[in-house]
Amino acid sequence: MKWLIVLLVILQNTLADRVLVLGETAAIKDTHSVYLNSITARGHELTIRAADDANLALFKHGELIFEHLIVLAPGVQVFGGSLSSSEISKFVDAGGNVLVAAGSNIGDAIRELAVENGFEFDAPGTAVIDHHNYDTSLDSGDHTTLVINKNQLINAQLIVGDASKLKPVLFRGIGLVAGRQNRLALSIIKGTTTSYSFDPKAQRVTNPVIAGTRTLLVGGLQARNNARIVFTGSADLFSNAFFGAKVNSANPSVQDKNAQSGNAALADAITKWVLKENGVIRVKKVNHHLVGETQPPPQEYTITDDVVYTIEIEELKNGKWVPFQGKDVQLEFVRIDPFVRTVLQNKNGVLTANFKLPDVYGVFKFLVDYRRVGYTHLYDVQQMSVRPLWHTQYERFIRSAYPYYASSFSMMIGLVLFSIVYLYHKEDRTTGVATKKSEDKKKQ
Amino acid sequence: MAAQALPVLQKLFEDYQKTTPQKLKIIDAYMTYILFTGIFQFVYCVLVGTFPFNSFLSGFISTVTSFVLASCLRMQVNPENRTEFKQVSPERAFADFIFANLVLHLVVTNFLG
Repeated sequence: MKWLIVLLVILQNTLADRVLVLGETAAIKDTHSVYLNSITARGHELTIRAADDANLALFKHGELIFEHLIVLAPGVQVFGGSLSSSEISKFVDAGGNVLVAAGSNIGDAIRELAVENGFEFDAPGTAVIDHHNYDTSLDSGDHTTLVINKNQLINAQLIVGDASKLKPVLFRGIGLVAGRQNRLALSIIKGTTTSYSFDPKAQRVTNPVIAGTRTLLVGGLQARNNARIVFTGSADLFSNAFFGAKVNSANPSVQDKNAQSGNAALADAITKWVLKENGVIRVKKVNHHLVGETQPPPQEYTITDDVVYTIEIEELKNGKWVPFQGKDVQLEFVRIDPFVRTVLQNKNGVLTANFKLPDVYGVFKFLVDYRRVGYTHLYDVQQMSVRPLWHTQYERFIRSAYPYYASSFSMMIGLVLFSIVYLYHKEDRTTGVATKKSEDKKKQ
Repeated sequence: MAAQALPVLQKLFEDYQKTTPQKLKIIDAYMTYILFTGIFQFVYCVLVGTFPFNSFLSGFISTVTSFVLASCLRMQVNPENRTEFKQVSPERAFADFIFANLVLHLVVTNFLG
């Protein structure tokens, strides 16, 4: 039985991730072949379907049949089969990752899906326009083929790759904003200050709904269950045409003229992040014990004990779990409030903290709560009681209490001496007489 | 004021010397000793702090209680109060005093450290 489980686990690991790719038609196989082939090359199993295919499903008997969903179908009005925005939300709740690319011909299905996830696309027929950062050769005159620069990218190498090496990226599509309430939203690529979203055929631009850096070209979020979702207004960003294009920005400050576009690199980086190939960390082992020991105490710690806490964290890199190298992981020792908060020292994936327990007893937790943009949420809790000293563990004789000891004993000795003197004392005659006299005086 | 108080105090002291029985004087001496020990402990506590608070309490309460018990003894063996304590002989009073002290010092040692 045990072997069977081990075998199943191994089998599970070797099974490729299943990705469902939805295109408007099967033509996507041709227009986005470079992008799709790069995903297949990394060991994913692609299933490419039209978005209105009547047999679409994400679940079978309540189990996920795909780990990831890529939607490259901007114009779809209603998803086929059992697929719908609520079904995709359920898919996300079950841990599935979603990448959605829209376009100016956006349909209701995609808009609804974005709203479910705290984003909103602009109205159909609009496009992001920038009269300063368009591509001079590819643009058709309405300034909607934009050139994205490095400074528009989110500062997270795990999501967008190495931004310093990234060539200008081409974008053509619809604008997006993150909902005000969406606290998980990541502005992966935001618009320039001169960009706005409007109908490019309109004669006059009046009050664009989305404008400036609030415009998102690519937005994403990592849900609380670590599922990742990315929305972009441009399906062309992933197309063969843009992958192979030469970029000529209208902006004179962009140095690279006629350079190869960076779309392939950026699409690769974002897709790796969404498909959980990047930025995935996990706890391998946690241990805590007294200094000089190796195992946690069977019952509890005592206040002011010196304790060593060790956590081993692994990161997924190129399909392999390797030691995590982050230097900013913190440990908290919490009893409702943190009593100790310290940075863990990372020695090749083994993170250690050496600290003294507070002079407070109660039920405490060793808490590692590591949230960084791009990484999955790492959360580990180890509960432990801390007890006060036993009465035998206190100091027996305290220096500063010696006067009290001395006076207490002097009271006892004084009592003995007093008793002896008092009992063996013989009343003097004269005083006795004097007393009598005074008594007599009283009577008179 | 001081000039008026001086003869009064002098008179008081003389009367005390003359009329107080020796046994009561012994008790008074004992009580004075206790009083000063208590004051010493209190001053020490004010200066050093209350850290071993149980020790301070037991030391200080030991002196206070000793003082109270001694004054009780003094009241009961004072010939002037004989009318009040008709059924308590001086011997009985002393035995009570010793018993009460025994209980006190047991408690004090227990609480001291």
